[in-house]
Order: sequence, then C-alpha cells, then structure tokens
Amino acid sequence: MYAIKEVFTNFKKSGFMSLISIGTIIITIVILGNYYLANESIKYFLSKIENKIEIVVFLKDDVVLEKINNLVMELKTVSDVEDAKFVSKEDAYQEFIKDKEIFSIMQNFETNPLPNSIKIKLKSYTKKNIDNLINLLKTKEGIEDIQYGGKEIENLVNILNVIKIIAIAVGIIFVISSLFVVSNIINLTIYARRNDIYILKMVGATNTFIRIPFILEGLIHGFLGGLTGWFILYIIVKILLTEIKKQTGLDFSTFYLFNPEFFSFKFLFASISAGILLGFFGSLLSLGKLKEK
Amino acid sequence: MIKFNHVYKIYEKNIKALDDITFTIEKGEFVFLTGPTGAGKTTILKLLYKEEVPDMGTIIVGSQDITHLSSRKIPFYRRSIGFVFQDFKLLFDRTVYDNIALPLVIAGENNKYIKKRVNEYIEKAGLLGKENLTPWHLSGGEKQKVAIMRAFITNPDLILADEPTGNLDDESAWEIIKIFEEANKNGTTVVFATHNKELLEKMNKRIIKLLQGRIV
Repeated sequence: MYAIKEVFTNFKKSGFMSLISIGTIIITIVILGNYYLANESIKYFLSKIENKIEIVVFLKDDVVLEKINNLVMELKTVSDVEDAKFVSKEDAYQEFIKDKEIFSIMQNFETNPLPNSIKIKLKSYTKKNIDNLINLLKTKEGIEDIQYGGKEIENLVNILNVIKIIAIAVGIIFVISSLFVVSNIINLTIYARRNDIYILKMVGATNTFIRIPFILEGLIHGFLGGLTGWFILYIIVKILLTEIKKQTGLDFSTFYLFNPEFFSFKFLFASISAGILLGFFGSLLSLGKLKEK
Repeated sequence: MIKFNHVYKIYEKNIKALDDITFTIEKGEFVFLTGPTGAGKTTILKLLYKEEVPDMGTIIVGSQDITHLSSRKIPFYRRSIGFVFQDFKLLFDRTVYDNIALPLVIAGENNKYIKKRVNEYIEKAGLLGKENLTPWHLSGGEKQKVAIMRAFITNPDLILADEPTGNLDDESAWEIIKIFEEANKNGTTVVFATHNKELLEKMNKRIIKLLQGRIV
C-alpha cells in the first residue's frame, strides 16, 4: 500500500519524466516488434519460395534408362539433396502442353523436342550446397545442361541477411538506450527524493522497502510502454494490410502472424512482457546507486 | 544504556571531529550534549544512529556493540531509537497522519493498530483536526511536534534530539521540552544536543560539554 502511494507520488512529481521513460520503451517495443514481424514474414516467404526452386539436369538423348536411374539413386544419397526425380521427355511434354500457348508452339515440331531430365530439390539453397551439387554433376557423363533459378534467390537471401544484421544491431542499440533512459529517469527520481529516502532510512526502512516503489515504477512504465507499443504496431499492421489488399488484392490477414490468435494475444503478451522486462532491468540498473545515498 | 569508549572520528583533511571520547549514559537518564558549533555534538548523534562509523574506539547501546553493525542490521537497530532533528525532516508530500505513522508502516504493523496508535499520538500532540494537512500548513512548533510524535510512536528506549528547539520561538520550544521531559519520566533515555544556555540552566540535568571534539 505504501509502495503504491509512493509510485503515484513519484508520477505526480515527475510526470513528464515518466512520459519520456514510457515513450522510450514504446519506441523500443515498436522497433523490436517490427523487426520480429518482418523477420518472420521474410522467413515464411523464403521457405515458400525455396519449396518451388528446383535444379533441373537435362540429359543427352542417348543416355539409357538404366544409367539415368543409377544417377537418380546416387543423387538421392547426397546429404544436401532433399529429393531427385526422373522426368521422361514424354512426361515433360505432357506437362508443357497443358499451357495453350506452348501447345501451339509444340504443334510446329514433328517430334518431341524436349530432353529427358532429372529434377533435384535441395534441403537448403546456400551457395555452398548449390556449388557442391553442380561440381558433382559436372563429373557425370551424359549431361547436356544444368539449370537452376537459384542465383537470384541466393542474392536475395544474401541481401536479406544483411538487412537482418542491421535490424538486429538497431534493435540492440534501442534496447540498451531504453535501459539507460529508464534507469536514468529513475536515477533522477531518486535524486529528487533523496531527502525523503534519507528520512525513510532514519526511521528504519530497509533498502528493499525503499526500492520496491522504484522497481514498481519501472514495471508500470514497462507495462504501459509495452501495451502502447503493441497498439501502435497493431495500427501499423492494420493499415499496411488494408493498403496491400487495396493495391494488390492479396489478403495477408489469414497469415498466421496477423491473425487475431497470434497478433492480438500472443504478440500482445510478448510486447507487454518485453516492456516489463525493460522497465524492471532499467530500474534495477539505477538502484545500485541507492545504497550510497 | 550508552557507552562510548575512547572513540575517535576524523574527517578528511585531518579534522578531528571527536578526539578520545569516553562517557556512559545510564538507562532512563536525560543528558544534554552542549558546546559551540563544530564541537562534535552532531557527530556523537550520527555515530549513535549509525550514519557515521567511528575510526577508533567502541560504542555500545543497550546490550549491543554497534561499532561495526552490518548494513543489513542497521535498519532494525534504528527502529529501536527515535530521532528528532532541528529541521524536522518530515515528508512534505504526506499528511501529518502519514508522517507520524511512518515508523509503524515501515515496521509492518497492522493497519488497525497503526490507526489507533497514531490517532492517540495526534491527540497527545494537540494536532487534532490537522491530521490530514501536509506539513506545509503547519507552524514550526507544530512541525516539530509531528517529528517528535513520529519519534515516540514506536515507544523507543532511546531518543536522540539534535537542536530540536533551534528553529522555534520560546513558547514552542518549552512545549517541546515538556514532551521530552514527560517521556523521560516514563523511562525513556534522552540525549539532547543544544547550545541554548537558558535551557541548560532551567532544566538542571546532566551536561556533557564538548569543545573541539573533546569532553571538557
């Protein structure tokens, strides 16, 4: 009860300072939240894209079926390879002529112009994995050509990785600075109340008794910062989703990150927890100095 | 009750605040500490309430050697003593009631007991009707009464007072002294620092006189 009264007194005395402290936590939560959402979305879409990437090995027409099957079996044993599948020229033809335009082009040929091929899926499309596989294939006979759409993906992954590192750095900077702002503001409060703290000590208050209101203050700042931060993110995401839907017709609101179960519950909980942790550690940082006063 | 045994306190730049101080105060005594400014009165009180640590010598209060009391034990030791300062040291954003109740709240007493006891002390101090005012609205004498009630509310065995009448007019000062005298009659040991000569003469109590950190 005493502690709660103290918190209110501090808030009344230094309301503006409290607002700065809460504001910093809000900014941190918004940045961290944005980073998390962007990162999750990128990871999700990358995995979708990766599922569609295939390395296609075109075979010379004179390679017999037995040799092809041996090659497929061998490829399947390579550790980076998720799957390897033989596609006969007939199968490829059937697949191609599903498209009307290609069908009309195909009409011009007397025989099936498509080669036999092997489609290979990798477990992950890193430069190393792709290079290893291509080097292996180059040692094999009867291969006409190797094609993969992975180069662009590889570049994209590299760019995204750089962005991720920058985002992590910005996130860390903001976590540290918000810890400092919270702790400094609580320091100022302690300084402003040093006479009262002296009196409390003189009448037998323990350090814990004196600290609890300040820690509580940090926690409340954290809670309010986390809640408001989440709300701002919520608004940003809502606006973005509506805009995207308007511009492209794509509805992302069914995506698990943005459905209410995740975004309005788990994510809200995480934002508030992160805010509270910031507030808590921010106030702990400043309380080391309490002892000396 | 209190034993100072060859106590030295030296501040920076070799200023000897206390120079070989030895004295005993019996339980239930009323003792004045006197001497000019800088003689060491406040230092003795600070050592007694553990704001300072002696550089040499031992200090015993009650049955406890407080010379090297651990910082964990200090708050609990302070709860057994009452303090009254010249500048009152009240919480100015709290009411009279809250200020007097503070030591009981800190000691974790239950609300019912606190309410009963604080109301009793407010009445004793003649502050009825002012319990919900903050100290801003009180006269100097009233402020000091609040501070004294706060010091007495836990029924301490020992009261330390540092020039408690220093900021008050004569009439208020005598009112304050009477409160101390009455507490002393009920068995409380009082150590009262003052340089008010008139007070010393009228009260006719034991006097420990200090000059430049020594007892004279």
